[in-house]
Amino acid sequence: MKVMVCLKQVPHQDARLDVNSDGTWIQEDNIKFEINSYDTYAIEEALRLKDAGDAEVVVVSIGPDRVTQALRTALGMGADRAVHVNDAAAQGADALGTAKILAAVAKEEGADVIFTGLMADDDNASAIPPMVAELLDMPSATGVTATEISEASIKVERELEGGALEVVELPKPCLIAIQTGANQVRYASLKGIMQAKKKPVDVKTLADLGVADSAGHAHNKATINKISVPAKGDTAEILEGSTDEIVTQLVGKIKELGLL
Amino acid sequence: MIEWSESQLMIRDAVRRFVEAEIAPHVEELEHGDLPPYDILRKMYAAFGMDEMARARFAKQIEAEKSGAMRKLRSDSEGDAEARADQAAASLIPIIELCRYCPGMVTALGVSVGLTASAILSKGTIEQKERWGLDILTLEKIGAWAITEPGSGSDAFGGMRASARREGDEFVLNGSKTFITNGPFADTTVFICKLEENDVDLRDRRILNFVLDRGMPGFEQSAPLRKMGMHSSPTGELFVTDVRVGMDRLLGGEKALGKTGGGREGAKGTFQTERSGVAAMALGIVDRCLELSLKYARERVQFGRPIGEYQLIQDKLARMEVARMNLQNLVFRTIELSARGKTMTFAEASAMKLYAARAAVEVAMEAVQVYGGNGYMSEYVVEQFARDAKVLQIYAGTDEIQIRAIAKDLLRG
Repeated sequence: MKVMVCLKQVPHQDARLDVNSDGTWIQEDNIKFEINSYDTYAIEEALRLKDAGDAEVVVVSIGPDRVTQALRTALGMGADRAVHVNDAAAQGADALGTAKILAAVAKEEGADVIFTGLMADDDNASAIPPMVAELLDMPSATGVTATEISEASIKVERELEGGALEVVELPKPCLIAIQTGANQVRYASLKGIMQAKKKPVDVKTLADLGVADSAGHAHNKATINKISVPAKGDTAEILEGSTDEIVTQLVGKIKELGLL
Repeated sequence: MIEWSESQLMIRDAVRRFVEAEIAPHVEELEHGDLPPYDILRKMYAAFGMDEMARARFAKQIEAEKSGAMRKLRSDSEGDAEARADQAAASLIPIIELCRYCPGMVTALGVSVGLTASAILSKGTIEQKERWGLDILTLEKIGAWAITEPGSGSDAFGGMRASARREGDEFVLNGSKTFITNGPFADTTVFICKLEENDVDLRDRRILNFVLDRGMPGFEQSAPLRKMGMHSSPTGELFVTDVRVGMDRLLGGEKALGKTGGGREGAKGTFQTERSGVAAMALGIVDRCLELSLKYARERVQFGRPIGEYQLIQDKLARMEVARMNLQNLVFRTIELSARGKTMTFAEASAMKLYAARAAVEVAMEAVQVYGGNGYMSEYVVEQFARDAKVLQIYAGTDEIQIRAIAKDLLRG
């Protein structure tokens, strides 16, 4: 069985973010990056399948050279191979463009199961996993907190609003977008890290994958016009006093605003 | 080696993530409560497969010893310099990272898997290695290495009074030990003592190493002693009163009695390894102290400006960075030597230890100074490093002993 995990490298949660000079993205120089936290659970879920039986785990990521580090980390955790789509033309891809690239890799790999994180820490879009599944014409489940695999299908538990759980069974091949906390993510072992540099990383371009349009892009109709830091307001009010006094004041404020 | 490699940085990031998630939240209990460090260290070993690596290395060593192929094993491992560098780095990076939060944990770990297991693996018979060595290497059991006594510190062998009296095939052990890291909790203790030899001066008697198990009749392990720093490393006293042991507990067995050199050989090698570990510890302490000081220098405002804008504070930060760079280079040199299958001279290891200990103390004290009144308070952490760092100038050979070793070597010409 071949299991593919899509992972995104995002700015480290402690990184200090500044807007770049043309105001369209963050300044990426000299900041630390890490694997999107949702994706780490996806990697763990795939590695559990590998631990339990005969599965090859292939990790896939799109991005510049720095992405190698994220892929090596996943290889250090136990993934077998990596595919790195390293193409400047992929930089401006919108969600559908990214999904097209990932779907092309999945098709080439012949993945039986695709794991992704539910969303990315940086843009919180949640758009790509269902798009990839749709492009590949395979069923998908999002917000997955538990999986149980059998020969031909995977049974999953999904989180619904209000704390309810839904149990769904998907025939393979399928795509599963994992929720954080679904499992306990392992650390890359020291031996695993030392062996990771010997594991294969295939570098691909959009042309290699056959997803480049006449301008060389996968799909980039949605573009980011501007990003900005919200202006600081001065409307915060600090309530002071004992706990009881603070609670009384707080309830008063809520009533004042007509919220109760 | 001029910088960390990509895989070494991955090891650093992974270990740092573990330390921040699993150790940082428990620092208060480890430093000021009664939480022994061992379960967290075991968790770290399991998380990074360090127990498995130790098991594999042990199996390889025992197999080689059994087939008499130790020389081949050594030349094999010399083959791949990059792998050797990674292995050396993989043992030093956790030391550095643990010391960024809890240097005491390194002391507890180092004494168990470094000193105690190494003593068994270098001096013991194959049976003894299998009986006690492996469990300590994997942290399943905790080891203590008992050399210091109330009357012997720097003059460890000369002033030692602990004794082994031979009675047929057995020995009767007596003596008391102090400042023994892991002493209160150790499952396995290497008890170092002198063979009672009536016609030999006490200073020159043969040194023997015995393995004692927790709970043996006549073997008492004290509660942890209160001390200045390194609170996460339990330190205690050991009392050995007429403990009767067979030849099976004498490291090296019958052969140890016939060796020349009085049993003192090999001690230098142990001290050397210990001393290079101290540079990594100092690097961890200095790195974190600098990080904390920089943060405070940016945030703390006095007379309307962040204190980092004042030259007297800048001087402290710059000196910390110089120490950090020097220590990092010393660690790089240690790794590079391992990669090339070389070892440091005894004098060089002593010089490195002397510098590292002094740098750690100076930087940690200056970090307290940068923090001012807050630095004197436990909440701001730097005072813990100032207390912890001080022992680096005392254990594993005091500064004065290092100076003596360096000077002796220089004067020899």
